[in-house]
Amino acid sequence: MYAPFELDIPNDLAGALAALANGDGEAVLPLAGGTNLIVDIRAGRERPDRMVGLDGVDELKGMEFGPERIAIGGRTTVSDLLRSPEIAREAPSLVEAARLFGGLMVRNTGTVAGNIASGSPAADLVPPLLTLDAELTLQSAASTRTLALDDYYLGYKQDARRPDELITRISWPRLPRDSVNTFYKLARRKGDAITVTGVAVTLAAAGGTCTTARIALASVAPVVRRVKEAEALLEGRALTPALIDEAAEAAAEACTPIDDIRASADYRRHTVRALTRRLVAGAWDRLA
Amino acid sequence: MTYTDIDPGALANVQFRQVGKPLTRTDAPGKVTGRTPYAGDYVMPNMLHMRVARADVASARLVRLDVSRARALKGVACVLTAADMPDRTSATDIPGQTGQKRLDTDQPVLVKDRVRYFGEPLALIAAETRDIADHAAALVEFELEPIPGVYDPLEALKPGAPQVYGEDNIVATRRIRKGDVEAGFARADLIVENTYKTPFQEHAFLEPEVGLAWVDENDVVNIRVSTQVIEHFRPIADAIGVPHNKVRVRGALVGGGFGGKEDMTVEVYLALLAKHTGRPVRLEYSREDSFVGHGKRHPFILTYRTGVTKEGKITALDVTMIADAGAYVFLSPYVILYALVAAPGPYRVDNINVFAQAVATNNMYTSAFRGFGALQACAAYEQQMDEIADALGIDRLELRRRNFLKTGEPMSTGFVPPSAIWTEQCAEKAWAGLGEPTPAQGPIRTGRGLACYQQSYGRLTFLHDTSEAWVGVEMDGTVVVRSGVTDIGAGQISAIGQIAVEVLGVTLDNVVIYNSDSAVTPLAGTTTATRALYMTGNAAKQAAEGLRARLVERAAQEFGVAPDEIDMGFNEVFVIDRPEKTMPLVDLVRICAAEGIHRSELAIFRAPFGDFLDPETGQGQAHPDYAYGAHAVEVSVDVETGEVEVLKSVAAHDVGQCINPAAVEGQIQGGAQNGQGYALSEEMLYEEGRLVTPSFSEYLMPTAMDMPKVECIILESRSGVGPFGAKGIGEPAMTAVAPAIANAVADAIGVRVFEMPITPERVVRALHGKGAAEQGRDPA
Repeated sequence: MYAPFELDIPNDLAGALAALANGDGEAVLPLAGGTNLIVDIRAGRERPDRMVGLDGVDELKGMEFGPERIAIGGRTTVSDLLRSPEIAREAPSLVEAARLFGGLMVRNTGTVAGNIASGSPAADLVPPLLTLDAELTLQSAASTRTLALDDYYLGYKQDARRPDELITRISWPRLPRDSVNTFYKLARRKGDAITVTGVAVTLAAAGGTCTTARIALASVAPVVRRVKEAEALLEGRALTPALIDEAAEAAAEACTPIDDIRASADYRRHTVRALTRRLVAGAWDRLA
Repeated sequence: MTYTDIDPGALANVQFRQVGKPLTRTDAPGKVTGRTPYAGDYVMPNMLHMRVARADVASARLVRLDVSRARALKGVACVLTAADMPDRTSATDIPGQTGQKRLDTDQPVLVKDRVRYFGEPLALIAAETRDIADHAAALVEFELEPIPGVYDPLEALKPGAPQVYGEDNIVATRRIRKGDVEAGFARADLIVENTYKTPFQEHAFLEPEVGLAWVDENDVVNIRVSTQVIEHFRPIADAIGVPHNKVRVRGALVGGGFGGKEDMTVEVYLALLAKHTGRPVRLEYSREDSFVGHGKRHPFILTYRTGVTKEGKITALDVTMIADAGAYVFLSPYVILYALVAAPGPYRVDNINVFAQAVATNNMYTSAFRGFGALQACAAYEQQMDEIADALGIDRLELRRRNFLKTGEPMSTGFVPPSAIWTEQCAEKAWAGLGEPTPAQGPIRTGRGLACYQQSYGRLTFLHDTSEAWVGVEMDGTVVVRSGVTDIGAGQISAIGQIAVEVLGVTLDNVVIYNSDSAVTPLAGTTTATRALYMTGNAAKQAAEGLRARLVERAAQEFGVAPDEIDMGFNEVFVIDRPEKTMPLVDLVRICAAEGIHRSELAIFRAPFGDFLDPETGQGQAHPDYAYGAHAVEVSVDVETGEVEVLKSVAAHDVGQCINPAAVEGQIQGGAQNGQGYALSEEMLYEEGRLVTPSFSEYLMPTAMDMPKVECIILESRSGVGPFGAKGIGEPAMTAVAPAIANAVADAIGVRVFEMPITPERVVRALHGKGAAEQGRDPA
């Protein structure tokens, strides 16, 4: 049963931002793919007075491949990611996450900005984007600002987006030449499943030393998060099995998983350790 | 891929023209083009929409139920509670379409004073629209005072446990006592004892429960409903208090049953509201309703104690099985009977004790599900066979070979199955079908598992099962079949058509089948228990043969030969080996019509009628016959994360005689998927009786990405008691899949996970239990 709501269907970005700006005390939500939101409304977990449908907002689509940065529109769908050879080259972890994301219908409808904004601790696209140092463009009728994805989440289902803002753009720097960017989704089945433990890793190396390390984890904390404690252990060093073990242990200690229907906290911590070790070691092997 | 293996010593005694060929099913074109209406597609003018309001705790006293606000809502036509029909009860234990020998297990249609499971119905609502019905359901006010419940069958057996059923929560107990078990153990060189646990399972049919009911001009309550059993018209009539001939159940093609539409689901609710309002009423369950709206597969705890000689010969077997029956009886007494009979599996065990008990709890009630207790037994006995083989150091297939029950030997109940027992051939073919082993890679280990099974087809003989079919030939030579049999998606009616046209020598495109109407089509019994092909196939064959005999007799007269010189095929009637003596079937039919020769036949097929098994020893004939086969799998296991992937899945089943190989393969593919989910990923988690995995985002069946190619090897012993020597494949296709996977996982990691589903976390725990020191890590 759906509680009634108003639906605005603007046909450009200005119209969408204007519709979001006229909140006037109502609960107004942007509606992109709706693959989470509609389910939540049907279950009574979300009760918007009004929604702003973004289907007609073409400015939110598209990808740009600049010399330094890659940028994609907020309404890029998960399937769009899979159709782009440039994304496959420039963000392999994101493509891997997209490949394992939901089912085909959800991939065709669900959007990158929606996956970020819904704030799920299990959001599959977020760990790859965190390890790519992604930046978000948040736009409202009155202002435009950019924010590191790393600073976006404030707590469980709490984020830095104001109700009148949209995530219009997601961008990240091109990967350095000698780098590996990977993602592993551990779930209770291969297709169409919610992640039990997600780990994304970016390693870059120069002259036998790890120059950049990014490790991000999903489903093991109130928000998808980087584990800077582990990253710091690796950056500036030549990686050894012992050092990788240490970083894996740091990741396991940094995460704060809970027991739920999919797995226990202990199991999640165990798999954070195992997968961090596996992904970092695998990446370092490929860089060597 | 599929290939068929026919024993040269079991050649058919007739030349098949239709049977055994992968013909396009009669139901396929309508389904593929979307023209086939399912029960949910039927609507009527002036129709009301229903909703069931349910309890939101599992064990409570109903202190107050107030539907006045719901009734007052504009657009609400009717709200019924137990107070409106204080004496209305509904049968839960409905084992037979003949209705005899039912246990006294009725429950109130709606909660009167006591809630025993989460989701038990409190009120029925009919309104002008679905939204209004939903809104009214939200306005039903109730106060439930919690009563301590019990959610574990072993807890429920303890003295002082909360009472759910009777004095002691024991729903039913069955026993087998055969030979001298103590002497058998004394003779054993080794005794292996293990306890295995199997989980709840949801049927998860594509089509949730749905129906439409209306009262016609003769005061007959008509119900168009998605069901496996149209014979429920009798208990529906009893429940609403009308004569049996005043309820008519009209089925439709069913979007999956698997046992979940064997019990009544929405029928009584529909009938009550159609009767109370005088208007057509429609009720469609959402997926969430469906999860709480029908019984689940029984979880079992099975303890196997097996005595064996050094050579691997089983000398004694002692089995204890405890099944969680949930809050109401339903088919639990029969499910544990199947488990009891199946306990030793397809092995010769002369000294055997089996104790099987169904225990009531405040969990969701459990009832029929593909495999029906025999599958849970297989999950245990096939894991136990690997444990024994490993303990003795004997090859796992070889250990089985040394113990297989052979054709003509008595099974656990002393009964000698009348058909061939081809377990060994099936096991060898399935095992060989795995091909070259996939090598391990780093933390990804690989392993292989085999499981064999014995699964009945046909219902319990004490139910005195019968099935009817009518076959007629029209004036233009086309064929009509009428039979009440329901088609739950496996091609039941098409197979029955294929049998009739085989006998009458016409092609499948010349037959139309009318089925699934309790008032108009001859009653054929349930589509359950792997019986539709066996029972109704035999009935259709008998009817067609009766008709053929009359046609052949008249043709013999026409050609001046003896009837046994006549054959029918390709829509022609002819003298064997004399091509000039032939006439189109249509000409013969016209002659028969002109002379008043009866051009149709109604036949009844009777399964062997038996008595109940001896209550102390369990000896006797439980079923008409049994099917045998094997499933083999190869898996990979990630020993760090515990993830299991099924790499290869090979099934080999003796189906007796294949009627339609494409349909058989469909059953095998589906069984492989159903069993894989049961073994690995499907999990119904209950917290104090409340399901916390109530949708397909939590309840995880294998997707296309999870399934390997399933290889189907079809064997034909032509020895079954079905038509043309057919056995059955509906349930057998699933039975051995889960233990084969469990055995493959154990083979891969060297330690067994004794409880299904074998989740990644359980794998990791088992590995750490085995060698935490060796792994040098904290146990997860």
